[in-house]
Amino acid sequence: MKIAVCVKQVVSREWQLRVADSKTWIRDQDASYELNEPDAYALEEALRLKEQHGGEVIVCSAGPARVSQVIREALARGADRALHVEDDALADASVTATALAAALAGEQCDLVLTGLQSDDAGFGQTGVVLAEKLGLPHGTIIMDVQLADGGLRVKRELEGGWFQWIAMPLPAVLTIQSGINQLRYATLKGIMAAKKKEVKKVAAPAQERKHEIVSLYFPEKSKTTRLIDGTPADAAKELVRLLKEEARVIS
Amino acid sequence: MFETLIFWGLCLLFAGIFVAQVGRRVWLVARAPNTFSLDDLPFRVRRFLREVILQSKTIAERPAAGLAHAFVFWGFLAFALYTSTEFLYGLGLADVRHAPFVRAYVLLLVPFAIAVLVGILYLMVRRAVFRPVALGPTVSIESIVIAVFIAALMVTFLLGLRLEEGTLGSRVNWWAHMLMILAFLALIPASKHLHLVLAPVTVFLKSPVLGTVPNLDFEREEVGLEALKDLGSKQVLDAFTCVECGRCQVNCPAWESDKALNPKTLILQNQRALLDGQTDRRLVEVYDAGVLWQCTTCGACENQCPVGIEHLPLIIGARRGLVSNGEAPDYLGNVFNHLERRGNIWGLTYEQRQKFVESAGLETFDPAKHEYLVWLGCAGAFEADFQKALRSLFEILQARGVTFGVLAKERCTGDTAKRAGNEYVFQELAAQNIDEFRASRVTKIVTSCPHCLKTIGDDYRRFGFEVDVVHSSVLVAQITRGLESHAADGTPVTFHDPCYLGRYAGHVDEPRELLGRFGGSLREPERNRTNPFCCGAGGGLLFEEKEEGTRISDVRFRQLQATGAGTVVTACPFCSIMLKGSQASAQAETEFVDLMTFVNGRLQRATGSSPPPGGASPGP
Amino acid sequence: MILVIAEHSDGKLNRASWEAVAAAQQTGDPVTIALPGANVTGLAAELAAAQVEEVIALQHEVLGTYTADGYVLALEALLAAEGPSHVFLAHTYQTRDMAPTLAARLDRALLTDCVGVKGEGDGRLFVRPMFQGKLYADVRPLGPGPHVVTFQIGAYRADAVVKGAAAAAVRQVAAELDPAAIRQKPEAPFKEAKQAVDLSQAERIVSVGRGIKGQEHLAVAEKLAGILGAEMAASRPICDAGWLPMDRQIGSSGQTVAPKLYVALGISGAIQHLVGMKGSNVIVAINKDPDAPIFEVADYGIVGDLFEVVPAIVEALNG
Repeated sequence: MKIAVCVKQVVSREWQLRVADSKTWIRDQDASYELNEPDAYALEEALRLKEQHGGEVIVCSAGPARVSQVIREALARGADRALHVEDDALADASVTATALAAALAGEQCDLVLTGLQSDDAGFGQTGVVLAEKLGLPHGTIIMDVQLADGGLRVKRELEGGWFQWIAMPLPAVLTIQSGINQLRYATLKGIMAAKKKEVKKVAAPAQERKHEIVSLYFPEKSKTTRLIDGTPADAAKELVRLLKEEARVIS
Repeated sequence: MFETLIFWGLCLLFAGIFVAQVGRRVWLVARAPNTFSLDDLPFRVRRFLREVILQSKTIAERPAAGLAHAFVFWGFLAFALYTSTEFLYGLGLADVRHAPFVRAYVLLLVPFAIAVLVGILYLMVRRAVFRPVALGPTVSIESIVIAVFIAALMVTFLLGLRLEEGTLGSRVNWWAHMLMILAFLALIPASKHLHLVLAPVTVFLKSPVLGTVPNLDFEREEVGLEALKDLGSKQVLDAFTCVECGRCQVNCPAWESDKALNPKTLILQNQRALLDGQTDRRLVEVYDAGVLWQCTTCGACENQCPVGIEHLPLIIGARRGLVSNGEAPDYLGNVFNHLERRGNIWGLTYEQRQKFVESAGLETFDPAKHEYLVWLGCAGAFEADFQKALRSLFEILQARGVTFGVLAKERCTGDTAKRAGNEYVFQELAAQNIDEFRASRVTKIVTSCPHCLKTIGDDYRRFGFEVDVVHSSVLVAQITRGLESHAADGTPVTFHDPCYLGRYAGHVDEPRELLGRFGGSLREPERNRTNPFCCGAGGGLLFEEKEEGTRISDVRFRQLQATGAGTVVTACPFCSIMLKGSQASAQAETEFVDLMTFVNGRLQRATGSSPPPGGASPGP
Repeated sequence: MILVIAEHSDGKLNRASWEAVAAAQQTGDPVTIALPGANVTGLAAELAAAQVEEVIALQHEVLGTYTADGYVLALEALLAAEGPSHVFLAHTYQTRDMAPTLAARLDRALLTDCVGVKGEGDGRLFVRPMFQGKLYADVRPLGPGPHVVTFQIGAYRADAVVKGAAAAAVRQVAAELDPAAIRQKPEAPFKEAKQAVDLSQAERIVSVGRGIKGQEHLAVAEKLAGILGAEMAASRPICDAGWLPMDRQIGSSGQTVAPKLYVALGISGAIQHLVGMKGSNVIVAINKDPDAPIFEVADYGIVGDLFEVVPAIVEALNG
């Protein structure tokens, strides 16, 4: 079974976010980077499927040279080889998906997995657009993957605690829900082996981007603890009001 | 003469058996990867004199049995010359038995013989009748046989002095004596009595520092101990030196809380497997399932062992082998991921540390301005209760005029990774921290976390990084030494010695000095000072929520409650977390206070001062 | 014209669709709503109560069950026919499954999870959160329309929809698609049989700590959980005491949860507990101790006696 996992390198979650002078992105000079966490779950799922059904896992990532860090990490966790679409400026899902599709074009994978969205932009599109570019069926927010009679049966998460099994033919593209499995840590042997695994560089084809960020800024209210005073009855009423109108977690 | 020939024959036979058996074990040691070291020779010599010649370790924990054993041992040493002269005579090589100094020496041996007799009889009764649990569930027949032999040797020696030389009785007596010695030669190597030969060597070769676990060399693709053949020469030597006394076992907090882990069993299982020649057998299969993950690395086993066995490098080494293969338990996998991605054990982002640093008004360490670097650690960065303890430390330092700063960025020292066997993450964290330390040009570090103390002060040395690092209790004891003592204020407190402070670093007096100086009425719990009972957090077990048997922290909490003190003073953030957890589960009302907070409260009251302006005020 | 794609399931309109309608109305542009499905005339009529140009019932037998392929094919054809400037949807799971395909098929821009709209006409910008909500971005879609935009659930209020003076017209459109081109074969949706408690999937959690003082007092918390539709959880001492089963324990190992709402009652916030629930979206803490570490991570906190505050909250929720 040939499984490709597309991963993104994102700025580390604890990198102090500051808006760049251009006001259209964050200041990321000398930032620390990491593997996008939802993609880590997709990688874990791919590795489990390989352990179950045999085959190989190819990790694929589009981005500048520094992306090799997350590629090595994926190889250390068990991916067999890698494709790196090297490009310094990947602006959006359309461009990225086109780049990834070009890299995967010659591979004839049975399955392509990605995380459901990235921790930086969070559009949640790239995997689905990639399916379209590859002309493959797709499923999103997948909790469970089973092979069945030359095809696939996947469990999709729906709102409100509902789920749905969907059958579709192989090959297919799936975006994987986070937290569905326990992420393995990179083992020493994996790290040593990763140094010897193949990373193939692929050129990025031209593609126009579909959106631009005009302005990036901090929202007015930041996360501070709001202590609500008053009698229990008053505080309770105020809390309920805030939860309904401000936090919008109850209706 | 005919007798001499027979004697020669028997000597050669039994000596041959001895050599063959010992040789086999020595060969196994020699074949193993060499892990012997002779660093700090003066210390080793002093320790040898103390522990081997003076039998300090055997006597310390079990005074009666230890003394009895000491008698037997000293007797054994004393008799060496006598035994040699008898062999020389028996082999027809020389007869110096009647030389004046030998006769005098033999007379001097009489009190030794009596001491040995008393000793061995006591030990035999203790083993066979009192049956202490440390010696195992069954009475070892071989032990009884040896004990009987030793007793008989003393009896035949004493008889020999009374019997007239040349008589039948005397000759029978002589032969009985010599035959038993020869039988001894055959029995020793195949039993725990080989410690007679090996223990002095093992003690001498034991590391001067508790819990010495060298770095893995990734260039040479070292991954830890996976199979029996990976055991180092010291570990193989340990396996054959074990005297099965069970001191490690009864001091082990895991064993004491009904878990399967028994340090003595690990060593003996190694021994068995080595003798069976199963070089390729995986260590995880040699031992019982799961035991390797029940160890808190408290070090009680290694510390108590009178014959120089080092359990910690074995357990941690075996963990390394498993972790390298991805076989760590799930909860540890989480911790490893946290350390790798976020640089701390909780997986939290450093905004919280930043908030604390700002609210406490801490300055970034500058060697031109600050004498000490305060290392906060993972608990200092994220754990609210420990941050209160640190605020107390800051106030004390300020009140005593000690200048200090903190690093702008810290990451975990890597203690949990190291003790849990993830050497890769440990070395990554260590390298980054050492870079920061070097860049900051720090020379003196103070920390309130004993784990950080061990890691920075000892493990980081293997990267060539040496710095003065001290636990807050030691520094604060030092800087308050000139102050007048407070009268004891009556409310009893008890102190829980952290394993990594008391046992590993040996600092048991400074906390007590502080408690005394600042008016604490101290009630000592059982298992204290250099042999505390672990709180259960070490070795990554802080994160194991599904502990088997009883919780180690619950056992310790009960011991602390038993002192009758309503307040427990701690000096380690993890002891505090674990014991408070036990207090909550037990729904007890015991108060917990960090040593720094205890001292600071009384210091502030005494000097009538309020917290200095510009920070260090309590509260979020 | 802005085309709003409404969503339905199980014979009912998705409440979030109204939010998308409200968003469209607030731009000031004319609004048309389309509802793909089979036998959705009745639901289309419900949508017609809003002040919109018309409601299109985009019907085909195979659209009775949602599939990405089916919906994309039907909408692709509709968009070609109707030519809107924008397509608005609520950012539901269904939208996440098919909007990117729709936009990519048309080679058009897709902006997801938006919380606001600025400006008008060609200069229109859409506001969306980035970096997990730490920053906001004003984004301009590029290229020709239609621009596809999805809106974060709750960003607009469903009750802000302006009702029309009279019901809008409902137009039936037969969806143009080849059923054989649908590659997904979905089975019926189901709710998981609750064999074990899986707090990691819970959307709301009410969690109790030592402050609850006794097993007999759990009812206070359970009542709140009942009204909120929340799962019960607890810190370790509660589970150790057996007042709640171990699979309800929130701790640093095993169960980590990330619900939309986490209510911590009488929980001090020991670090192992915090690590298990720090991923929660909104944290409410009620504790007698103002210094309790839980207040460091809470979004909203009440320092008080939970036995007084919680019944008051229950009443406020009921009233």
